[in-house]
Amino acid sequence: MASAYLTHQQKVMRLYKKSLRHLESWCVFRDKYRFYACILRARFDENKNEKDMVKATMMLKAGEEEFWTNQHPQPYIFPDSPGGTSYERYECYKVPEWVLDHWHPSEKAMYPDYFSKREQWKKLRMQSWDREVAQLEAETPTGGPKTEALPPARKEGDLPPLWWQFVTRPRERPT
Amino acid sequence: MIKNIQMFSYNMAARVLQQCVRSLGRPSLRLCPVNLALRAAVAPAVTVHRPFSFAADSRRTRWLGQSRISSVGLLCRQYGDLPPLTLETIKDRVLYVLKLYDKINPEKLQVTSHFMKDLGLDSLDQVEIIMAMEDEFGFEIPDAEAEKLMTPEEIVQYIADKKDVYE
Repeated sequence: MASAYLTHQQKVMRLYKKSLRHLESWCVFRDKYRFYACILRARFDENKNEKDMVKATMMLKAGEEEFWTNQHPQPYIFPDSPGGTSYERYECYKVPEWVLDHWHPSEKAMYPDYFSKREQWKKLRMQSWDREVAQLEAETPTGGPKTEALPPARKEGDLPPLWWQFVTRPRERPT
Repeated sequence: MIKNIQMFSYNMAARVLQQCVRSLGRPSLRLCPVNLALRAAVAPAVTVHRPFSFAADSRRTRWLGQSRISSVGLLCRQYGDLPPLTLETIKDRVLYVLKLYDKINPEKLQVTSHFMKDLGLDSLDQVEIIMAMEDEFGFEIPDAEAEKLMTPEEIVQYIADKKDVYE
């Protein structure tokens, strides 16, 4: 995200999406939901060419209030999203990768190819670490970073900064 | 179970049909206890599913056949899980859902076609497309990342990233 504030368009998009999701929770039958979704889309479309931002913001506020009064008490939440049934369910099985270093040598001998490749990856990490830190120090503004987004690799043959934690992140569904 | 087929989305229907295929393949006595009337009720119910599915959508049969093959070929068991995703199947499903959308011309649709520039869609249309993708794949795409997905290629990459396909 560019900044911490949302643009008007982003706010309208979010209101549209959550109102459609709550409408879907209210209208269980698909054809009925489709009908009311088209009506809702027509309501959004008739005002979409408003140039006066004050009026547009007042309309957005009215829309948010209407959403608040008409929201569903138990909307459908996807299982993996916050509030859903399987949110963070497999979090306890997501073991970090440095645990592999603590395996017993007899256990490591069961997977020799994998561990030899792992040694190469760790060597690569050692080599690129200084360049990553240098890039981050050069690109961070004074006073600390403004966003959590990391910059991509700028130079040829360079790896993106802090790539290790993304490459070795645990799977979404650890088996 | 038969009534619910019509109400639920395609995803649920595929899962139900998959379970029916499994129950056909392994007739388990524990499903129907001593009650023979129950067993007779289950069998015609399953046969009613199949003509409905074959008549309604040929893609469901392809999905069903694919799941049957993959469940035989895999060594690990899936229990109640869906068949594993591949980049090909994700791309096929994304393009299929996009072709179903009436504001998109199916001839002009490519994997790299931009929603706003090439296909002439609105930001609210893009929201609807992302919602259709969420319904198709069964997981939510947060707003911050959803507003950046502007081509089918990006959507496929995002889903593959979230679902750890060909990590």
